[in-house]
Amino acid sequence: MRTGTQARKYRLQGAGLDLALPYLMLAPGLMVVLGVLVYPLWDGLRASTRAYRYGSPVADVGFQNYVQLWSDAQFLNSLWVTVKFVALSVSIEAVLGFALALFCLHEFRGIRLLRTVLIIPMVITPVVVAILFRLIYASDAGMLTALSEAMGGGGVQILGNPLNAFIGLVVLDVWEWTPLMFLILLAGLQSLPHEPFEAARVDGAGPWRVFADLTFPMMRPVLAVAIVLRTIDAFGTFDQVFVLTRGGPGEATRLISIYGYDTAFKFQQTGYAAALFVTIGLVVLALAFSAIRLLRRVDAS
Amino acid sequence: MMHSSRLTRRSVIKAGLGMALATTALTTLGLPMPAKAAGKKVIIGAFADGGLTPFKEKIIPLAKEQGFDIQFLEDEYGVTLEKWFADAQSGAGQYDLYLLDDPWVPQFGAANVLEDLGAGGIDGSDKDWIGPMIDMGYWPPQKGPRVKGFENAKPTLICVPFVGDLQTLTYRNDVFTGGAPKTWDEVIAKGKEGVAAGKIKYPVVFRGVSGNPIVTSWYPVFLSFGGSFFDDKWNPIFNSAEGKASADFFVGTMKQNAPSGVVEFDSDQEGAAILGGEAGAIIQYSGNALKADDPAQTKVAGKLDFGVVPKQEKAIAQMGIFIAGVPKSAPNKANSIEFLKWYVSAETQAKLSEAGSIPVKRSAFGVAKPGNRLIPIALQQLDAGALPRPRTPDWAKVEELLGIELNKALQAGSGGGAALDTAAKQVKDYLTTVGYY
Repeated sequence: MRTGTQARKYRLQGAGLDLALPYLMLAPGLMVVLGVLVYPLWDGLRASTRAYRYGSPVADVGFQNYVQLWSDAQFLNSLWVTVKFVALSVSIEAVLGFALALFCLHEFRGIRLLRTVLIIPMVITPVVVAILFRLIYASDAGMLTALSEAMGGGGVQILGNPLNAFIGLVVLDVWEWTPLMFLILLAGLQSLPHEPFEAARVDGAGPWRVFADLTFPMMRPVLAVAIVLRTIDAFGTFDQVFVLTRGGPGEATRLISIYGYDTAFKFQQTGYAAALFVTIGLVVLALAFSAIRLLRRVDAS
Repeated sequence: MMHSSRLTRRSVIKAGLGMALATTALTTLGLPMPAKAAGKKVIIGAFADGGLTPFKEKIIPLAKEQGFDIQFLEDEYGVTLEKWFADAQSGAGQYDLYLLDDPWVPQFGAANVLEDLGAGGIDGSDKDWIGPMIDMGYWPPQKGPRVKGFENAKPTLICVPFVGDLQTLTYRNDVFTGGAPKTWDEVIAKGKEGVAAGKIKYPVVFRGVSGNPIVTSWYPVFLSFGGSFFDDKWNPIFNSAEGKASADFFVGTMKQNAPSGVVEFDSDQEGAAILGGEAGAIIQYSGNALKADDPAQTKVAGKLDFGVVPKQEKAIAQMGIFIAGVPKSAPNKANSIEFLKWYVSAETQAKLSEAGSIPVKRSAFGVAKPGNRLIPIALQQLDAGALPRPRTPDWAKVEELLGIELNKALQAGSGGGAALDTAAKQVKDYLTTVGYY
């Protein structure tokens, strides 16, 4: 004999609820995704085809904002500064992160503490990191100037010199984000199978041979993922520059994120800024796809 | 008989549930919360600046006595414009009153997001206002060129001057023993003597950071050399012979007599240099000047005096006042306007002057005991000449373009005139793209 609940269940199934149920359960999540991801993206795309004055849209301009970008000297300069910044900092972070991960793979007394200490910079708020570096770099009362003066030298010019300020920003980024590379690569190294390494040792391979023929090739996918992730993240670097240099001196450290922010919020060119960010989004996506394709090709060969 | 009330878990839960239900019910019905009805609430948004210290310390308590419940929300200067503009435009209603930097008024005015304070009963024609200050509260401006789209619009009072700030000279009286230096050449020459005598380290210090800071520091030099920024058709003319001479002097002579790191200096380093006893003279707004007599904040208390800015042709300063606007989305609009009426009255302005701030009404300069000796100097500067920045909603972009080029020339220590030519072309191109001509 069927109970009341069972009877109700069968009636509902008969009405097609069993087919609709998965969609009903997906609906809340779907609504959230539509509301916080799809709609803003669509709205941003729509804004990028409009001209704004005094904060309000005044005309549809099609792709004019996108075309205008490529003749905007400030945009091109900030794009170039960003590419240089990303290439330099991510490369250094990858090399340092890999070296640290290899070093910390060994088990010795105090290694757990060392691993913990190494990831501290990554967990500090970027704004705080920028303030710390400002206290180090400032030419009037900074730590470097104090050290230099204590040794009989003069003031150290970091933030007032275009090249030094750029290098100073890269150093900050390397200090803050090498730990992320280290963490990802250490996890990758720890998950590698032991057998090939033991076999290589039995065959008398030295450390460099093991690294070149085993560790590096086996780590390549992890390294690629880490580099792609970090590259995407580095393209969006904002807080540190905003606090440390505001893009100066001149335009030496004006990354695309700072230029886009100023364009959107300070200069109220909302449509143009939207076009700028869409373009950058596409550039980053293209870079990511290229990196992945390159990786697949290398793996296949 | 005495009742003993014991606090039990059940009683706490019951009370909590009761309060939650009552709050929900009141909110749903749109009724005011009884606990918050202590006074006439006014939420003021301001950027952090020493120029507002007397207002915070002395005037807010007075406002409370008048029945106003003031909430004073401060932010860093660099983020306030965008934050408030977004608030006003979206109608979020987070603030009742913005204390704007005056160059922002055109942007808010053009976007039509501020209340008409004249319609609210504030009299912009009161002769007691400092003329150039109240002029800044109108959009479109009553005088001077207007941007396209607003040529025939009726000027509306959308903001009222709040604290009357302007640039003046702060100098070391043991270096400039004959009183305030009258010309820039005197600033440099006497400053060098001060350096040679070991009294100071640098004749002059200024702000060199790209954008607003460097333009603000260069502006009084530019004005004193006789420069003008735009003609009446919005064509940039700051790269005139006078303008170029001022820029060359600024990035050349002034840099040579300033700290080597001046390219990265902003107001905090500039203030530290004069208050720390390293600088002979600086041009500054009132924020740091108010600290000049406080031994807790300066190493050279008693050695700092104020004067009108030096001149080459004219002694004209840049005016940069705190100016108050009420967003159309303000949740307590009536309270805000009532507060402003009280605040700009001659009586309250006199109190502001006694508290140490530069007032916005001329009568308040005549109080028996102004709270700061900068106040009479500020009046002297107003009478000698003080000009606001051009009244355009695109000033932020113009300032950015000019500031970058000036900063590059400052790094090089030469080429100020060429920097102005480059910036003028960029400004002209930009204004063309946004439809000025």
